[in-house]
Amino acid sequence: MSVTNLLNNWAAVRHFHPIDDKPHDPYKWAMAIDLDACIGCNACAVACYAENNLPVVGREKFQHGQAMHWMRIERYWNEDSREFPDQGAEFLPMMCQQCEAAPCETVCPVGATNHTQDGLNSQIYNRCIGSRYCSANCPYKVRYFNWYDYPTTDNVWPAEMNYQLNPDVTVRGKGVMEKCTFCVQRLRAAEVTAKGEGRIVREGEVQTACQQSCPTNAISFGNLVDPESRVYKQWKAQQVDLAKDEQEKDKREGGTDLRGYRIFEDLRPYPSVMYLERVRESAV
Amino acid sequence: MIDSESTKNLSGQAFDRRDFLKVLGFGGTAVALSGCGNTSIEDGKETVVSYVEAKDYVIPGVAVYFNSTCAQCDAGCSITGKIREGRVLKLEGNPESSINRGKLCGLGQASVQHHYNPDRVREPLLRNGDKGQAISWEKAYELINEKLQGAKGEEVAFITGDVSGHQKVLLTNYIDSLGSKNHFVYEAVAPAVVRAGNLKSYGVEMPRYRIDKAKVVLSFGADFLGTWISPVHFAQQYAAFRKGVDGQRGVLIQAESKMTLTGANADRWLAVRPGTEGILALGIINALGIATGDVAELVKDYDRARVSRDTGVEPSNIDKIAAILRLRSPSLILAGSAAEGYVHGMQNADAINLLNHVLGNVGKTIEAPVSVPFPQLTQTKGNTASLKKLNDDLAAGKYKVLFNIATNPVYTAPASYKYGDSMAKAGFKVAFAHYLDETALQADLVLPLDSEMEDWGTHVPEYLADTAQINIQQPLMERLHANTRGMGDILLTLVKQRKPEEYKAFDDYYGYLRYAMLQNKAALGGSGDDDVFWNDTLSKGIVKLSGASGALSAKAAVEGLKLPQPEEADKQYPLRLIPSVTSNLRDGRHTNQPWIQESPDPLTTIVWDSWVEVHPKKALELGIVEGDIVKVTSKTGSVNVQVYVFPGIHPEAVSIPMGRGHEAMGRYAKGYGVNPFGIMDAVFEGSTGELAMHETRVNIAKTGQRVIVVKDEGPAGGKQMGRRVALSRSTDQVDLSKEV
Amino acid sequence: MKDIREDIAWAKINQDVMKSLENPRPLYWVILFFAVLTFGIGIGCEVYQYQMGMGVANLDNPHVWGLYIATFIFWIGMSHSGTLLSAILHLMHADWRKPIYRFAEAMTTFSLMTAGLFVMVHLGRLWQFYYAVPYPNERWVWPNFQSPLLWDAMAIFTYLSSSVLFLFVGMIPDLAIARDNMHSGWRKKLYTLLALGWEGTDRQWRNFRVTYLTIACFLIPLAVSVHSIVASDFGMSQQPGWHVTSFPPYFVAGALYSGCAAIITLFIILRYVFKFEDYMTLPILKKIVRLTFAIAMVWTYLNCIEFASVWYSHDAVSKDLLIQKMTGPYAPFWWAMIFCGSIVPLVFAIKRFQTNIPVLFATSLLLNLGMWLERWMIVSPTFSHGYYPWTWDHDQWPSMIQWGIVFGSFGWFTLLFMVFCKMFPSVSMYEVKEMVYHRTLHLKQNGASEQTVEQGVH
Repeated sequence: MSVTNLLNNWAAVRHFHPIDDKPHDPYKWAMAIDLDACIGCNACAVACYAENNLPVVGREKFQHGQAMHWMRIERYWNEDSREFPDQGAEFLPMMCQQCEAAPCETVCPVGATNHTQDGLNSQIYNRCIGSRYCSANCPYKVRYFNWYDYPTTDNVWPAEMNYQLNPDVTVRGKGVMEKCTFCVQRLRAAEVTAKGEGRIVREGEVQTACQQSCPTNAISFGNLVDPESRVYKQWKAQQVDLAKDEQEKDKREGGTDLRGYRIFEDLRPYPSVMYLERVRESAV
Repeated sequence: MIDSESTKNLSGQAFDRRDFLKVLGFGGTAVALSGCGNTSIEDGKETVVSYVEAKDYVIPGVAVYFNSTCAQCDAGCSITGKIREGRVLKLEGNPESSINRGKLCGLGQASVQHHYNPDRVREPLLRNGDKGQAISWEKAYELINEKLQGAKGEEVAFITGDVSGHQKVLLTNYIDSLGSKNHFVYEAVAPAVVRAGNLKSYGVEMPRYRIDKAKVVLSFGADFLGTWISPVHFAQQYAAFRKGVDGQRGVLIQAESKMTLTGANADRWLAVRPGTEGILALGIINALGIATGDVAELVKDYDRARVSRDTGVEPSNIDKIAAILRLRSPSLILAGSAAEGYVHGMQNADAINLLNHVLGNVGKTIEAPVSVPFPQLTQTKGNTASLKKLNDDLAAGKYKVLFNIATNPVYTAPASYKYGDSMAKAGFKVAFAHYLDETALQADLVLPLDSEMEDWGTHVPEYLADTAQINIQQPLMERLHANTRGMGDILLTLVKQRKPEEYKAFDDYYGYLRYAMLQNKAALGGSGDDDVFWNDTLSKGIVKLSGASGALSAKAAVEGLKLPQPEEADKQYPLRLIPSVTSNLRDGRHTNQPWIQESPDPLTTIVWDSWVEVHPKKALELGIVEGDIVKVTSKTGSVNVQVYVFPGIHPEAVSIPMGRGHEAMGRYAKGYGVNPFGIMDAVFEGSTGELAMHETRVNIAKTGQRVIVVKDEGPAGGKQMGRRVALSRSTDQVDLSKEV
Repeated sequence: MKDIREDIAWAKINQDVMKSLENPRPLYWVILFFAVLTFGIGIGCEVYQYQMGMGVANLDNPHVWGLYIATFIFWIGMSHSGTLLSAILHLMHADWRKPIYRFAEAMTTFSLMTAGLFVMVHLGRLWQFYYAVPYPNERWVWPNFQSPLLWDAMAIFTYLSSSVLFLFVGMIPDLAIARDNMHSGWRKKLYTLLALGWEGTDRQWRNFRVTYLTIACFLIPLAVSVHSIVASDFGMSQQPGWHVTSFPPYFVAGALYSGCAAIITLFIILRYVFKFEDYMTLPILKKIVRLTFAIAMVWTYLNCIEFASVWYSHDAVSKDLLIQKMTGPYAPFWWAMIFCGSIVPLVFAIKRFQTNIPVLFATSLLLNLGMWLERWMIVSPTFSHGYYPWTWDHDQWPSMIQWGIVFGSFGWFTLLFMVFCKMFPSVSMYEVKEMVYHRTLHLKQNGASEQTVEQGVH
C-alpha cells in the first residue's frame, strides 16, 4: 500500500462524471414517463415485485413505513380546495432517478453505491454496511433498506412461494440498502449479447419490467445516446438536456409549451428520468 | 363443430401426457423443481439428476417462454410465462393477443402467487366432523358417484363462475348426463345490467367500444381503466385516445358518485348524486338540443335547472359537456356498473345509451362485436340473479347434491341471503377449490384444483377486440402438488362415470382437448400436419379466427324509459353505501395473493385493510377524521371499519371496497379488513333481477377508537406542499403535435 | 476565596486520593449497580436488534436515522469538555482546572468509546464494519474518501487514541504515587506496570512536561476537527435543515456546552461519592458554572444565527422544516430543547445559585437533556419533513429497543467511568500539590502576619 496506489485507485473509482468526463459510451440508460398516459394502475409496481424479488413485508411493517416497493405510484390532488377533485387525481410513478451526480454516491462510506459507465446508479449489496447515509441524502427517498431479514421472515417467501424468485436477481438479506436498478440484470444480458454480436443494443431490444407491463406505454426506456431511440427523441423534442440544472426552455420569456421536466432539477442531481407533465382539457 | 357429438365416433387413441410434456420441454421440470425446494440432499429427500442428461429446453440459466391465458379475471388476456429450470417466474403479456397486446395488469401478474400459494388445497378432503380428512381421488370419485345415485337429476345443482371453451362443453355434457338443468353461472361483479341494456339499445349484449376512435368519452361510472370488462385492452385504447389525432387530445369526462381509477384520470370528474346518472344523461340530451321526435319529447322536461337540482351537477358543467360533445365527434358514452347498481339501473343504462344514438356514435365508436363461430365454446356469462335463484332453491331444500366450482358465494352473497344456511340444506356439497375459502369450508368434499399454470384449457373471452380468438391455456410447469387435478380432467372423469362409452378414448383432458381442436383444424384456420398445427397453436397461445360480426340496431330504444325522481334521504339511514370494486381485489377471490394485498389502492394508497371513504364535508359534519373506527350500519347488519377522508365521493355516499374481510382462504387474506357484502341489503334491479349493489343505505357512528391508516401516502395527504413534483398543465398551454 | 485550601499537607493529599481507590461512599455501589443494569438492558436490546435486523428499532424508509445518530453526536459532544479543561486551560495556565481535569479527561475517553459504539449499533451490517476502514487489501478496494462518514470514523479513532494517550501520560506521576502507597496485590502490580518506572527525577519531569504539552497542543485542533467533521455529516449533505454552513462552529459550541454541563454533574457526584470535598471545591465549581454559562450563550447565539440564516435564505424547504420543527409533531421536543438549552442556563447567572449544589445538579441534568434533544432535533425532523412530501413520515417513534440501547449507553459510560474512578486517582495528586505548593510559597513570602487562612467550604 502506498499513497500513490491509493490516489491512483481513488481516481479510478470516481472516474465518471457527466460534466467533465466522457462517459456514456456507448450507452446511457434513461427513461421518460408520460404522466398524461399514466393511469395509476400499479401494474408496473407489481411487475417490479415479480422481476426484482421484492419482499412483501405485510401489514405491520408497511404501517411502520418499511415497505420495499422500489417503484411507488404517488397520487396527488390539486390543492385548490374545491369541494371535489374535479380534475381527477395525478399519478406519479417514482423510483430511483439514476442521477448522474447522485447525492447518494458521494456520501456512502464504503463506496457501495457507484456510477456505472452506462449511466446507472449501481448498488453493491455485498459491499453495503448499512449506514443508510445514501438514503438520508436522497432527495426523492427512493432507497429502501432491509430492516429485517426478509428471506427468513415468516410469510414473505414461504415454501413454494420462493420458487417464483428470479434467479438473475440477488435476494437481499438484512441490513443492506436497495433500490430500483433499471432492471440491470436485463440490461447486462442485452449488453453482453450485443457485444458478442459486435453491435450495440438496439432500441426496443431491452425493456424494464415496469415499462413492459405498462398498459398505456407511459414509460419509455432506452439508450439516451442512441439517436434512434425513443427516449432520445423524447428528451430532444422536450428540449431537456441531461447535463443542465436549468433547461434553456425554462429560462425563456413567457414559458414553454413543452411539458418535459425533471423533478428537483435545481438540486443538481442530474436525474436520468424525464417526466412529461399531465395535461387537462381546458375546454371542460 | 366441437361438441360431444363429434367425439362419439372416436377410435382408441392413446395420448401420453408425460411424453408430450417431454416434447414441449416440461419433462425436465422435476429435475429443477427438486433443486429449488426446501429439501436437501442431506435430508435424503432429493433426487439428484445430472444436468448432463438434461431434457430438451432445460438449459440452466436460460429462460424459455410459453404462452397461455390469464385466468385472474374474465378479460382473457394472453400471457407469456417466463420459465427457468422448470419454474414459472414471471408472467408478461403476449403481444400476439389483440386484447392485451403484450401488456398485463398487476392482478394478472400476481397469478404466479396464486400458483405458488402456500395455502392451496393439496389433497381431496372429506368432511369428518369439523375436520377435513385427506382421501384419494378414486375414493372421492366413488363418493360422488354414490351420492349421485341417490339423487334425481333435478336434485343436482352446479354453481360456477363464467365458463367457456372446452371446459364448458364437458361441464354442459356432464350436467346433461345427470339429467340436471340446474347450472347457475354466478359472478359477484359482472356487467349483467350493462349487457341487458346494450341488448335493448344496440341489439347486442357486448358491442366493441372504440375509445381510441372517440374524441370525447363521457363515462357514467364505467371504470374501464380499472375493472370494467377488459381493462388492459381499454387502457391501451385510452392511451391512443389521449394521444389523439393531430395533437388533439381526447377528452374524458367521468360522472359517478365515487371516484374510480378512470374518474381519477378524467379531465372533468363530476360528482353525481347516487342513482341520478340517467337524469344527467337526459339532461345532456336536452342541453345538446339536437334530438328529434320521441327522444326530444322524452327529454323536454329535463332542463338544466331541474337536472342540476336532481344530480348535483353545476348547470355550467352540463353546458360545457353538451358544447364539447356537439363540437367534437365522434364521441363515446359509456354506462358502467356505478350507473346500473340501482333498482332503476336498466333505465339509467337506457338513458345513457340513448345519448350514443342521439350523438350518432353507434356504428362509429360502438361497433358490432366479433364472435367465435362455435356457440358451445363461447362464454356463459355470469350474473348475480342466478345466485338469488340458487339460494331460494337451496333454502327450499330442492337440491341433494351441490357442485360448487371455484366460486365463493358464502363470502360474496349478501348477508341477508344467509347463503351458508341455505347451502347446509343441500345433502352433499362438493367444492372444487384452490383454497379452503369460506364456501369450501362448508362443503362435505373439497377437491383441490390445479392452478391455471398447471392446467390445460381453452377460453373464449366475452369481450373480443379486433378479431375473434380462442385463447389456449397450457401448463407452464409441472404440477406443484401431486394431488391436485385440472377441472377438465375431473369433469372428464365424472362424465365417464355417466357415459363411459362416449369418452373412453380420452385418457385425460389434454387428449380430449387436442383431439377436439384437431378435429376442427380447418375451421380453426389450420392446415397440413396435425402436429405442426397443434404445436403452432400452443406456441402462439391463441387461435385467431375470422369471426362473424353481428349487426347493431340503429334505432334508439326509448319505450318504457322512465326515470324515477331521486329519493329523499332516509332519516335513519341517510347515506348510500357504494361497495366499490377495486382493480386489485375485485370480488375477493385473489385476496390471498400478497402482491395484491400490498399493492396500494390507487386512490387511497391503503394496503392490507378495508376502509370507508367519507367526503371531507361529511366527515366535518360528523366530526370524524382519518383513522377513526366507525360503525357502518345498514338494515342488514353493521361493520366496524376505519375512515379514510376522501374528496372523490359524493357527500351523500360512503364507500367500502370489496374483496377483503375474509374469514378463511389463507394467511394473506384471513382477518384483514371487512366485507361489505355482509351489510348489503337484498334489493334488486327492476327488469333483470340483478342485485342492486348501490341501493344499500347506511348510517355511520363513531366508536371512539382510532388507528393509524396503513397506507403509502404520507401525512401530507397527496399535497405537494409547493414542491415541484408532479406537474400539470392545461391543453391551451401545451403543444402536443411536436411530441414523439 | 481561594480555589483550594492551602494548608493541606502533601501527604494528606496522597492519603485522601488513595482512599478514593479503596472505600467510596455506598452511593458508589448503587450507581454501579444501576449502571450494570442499564448496560445489561442495552446489551439485550442490541443482541435482539442484531438478530432481527434494524427494523426492531422502528426506523423506516424515509426515516433511516434515529436516536442512534443523535445519541452518537451527544457522546461525541460530551467528549469535548475534557479536552477543554485539560488541554486548553492547561495552555492558558488556569490553575483551577487541576483538581478536576483528570476525571474530565476520563470522561472524554469514555464518552468517545460510547460514541464509537453507536456507530456500530447504527450499522445495518455490523459484522462488516471493517469495510469502512482503509486497510490494505489485495483487491485495492478502498472506502469512499469522499464520505463525511468515513472522515468521521477516522477523526473519532484519532481523537480517541490521542485522548487515551493524553489521559495516560498525564497520569504517570500519580500512578507512581499509587504504586508507592498501595498495599501489595494485583493493583500494586498494575500501577507498577503503568507507572513505567517513574521516579520523579528532573529529567523525567522535563520530558514529562514537554510530552504533555505536545499532546495537549495536538489534541486541541483535533477536538475542534472531530466535531466539525460530525457537523459535516449533516452540513455536507443536501437535506433541508442539515445543509447549513454554520454547522461546524455550532456543533463545537454545542459540544463544549454539553461537556461542561456533564462535568458539573459528574463533579457533584464524585465530590460526594469519593469524599473529594477538599479538592473539588465550590470556588472551582463556580468557575465551571460561569464557563458553562458563557458557552451556553454562545450556543444560543449560534442557534439564532442558524434560524436567521434559514429565514433570510429564501430556501423554502428549509424554512418549511423550521416551521415544522416549531409547530409539528416534534414541537414539544424542540421547545424543550430551546428551554433547556437557552433558558435554563440563565440560572447560572444568578450568583447565589452558582454554588448551590442541588440547584446546579438539577440544572446540569436539564442542560444535558437539552443538548441531547438538540441532537435529536437536528437528526429526525429532516427525515420526517424533507424534500419529498409523499414520504413524509407518519409513524416514527423510536421503539423500546432503540430507547433501550440509548439508555444502555448511559449505563456503559457510567460503568466505565465509575470503574475508572475507583481504579485510578481521579484527582491529579501531583498537580494539586503544585497548587498547594504555590500557595504555601506565597504565604511564606508574605510573612506569617497574614493569619487569615481561609477555610475551605465543606
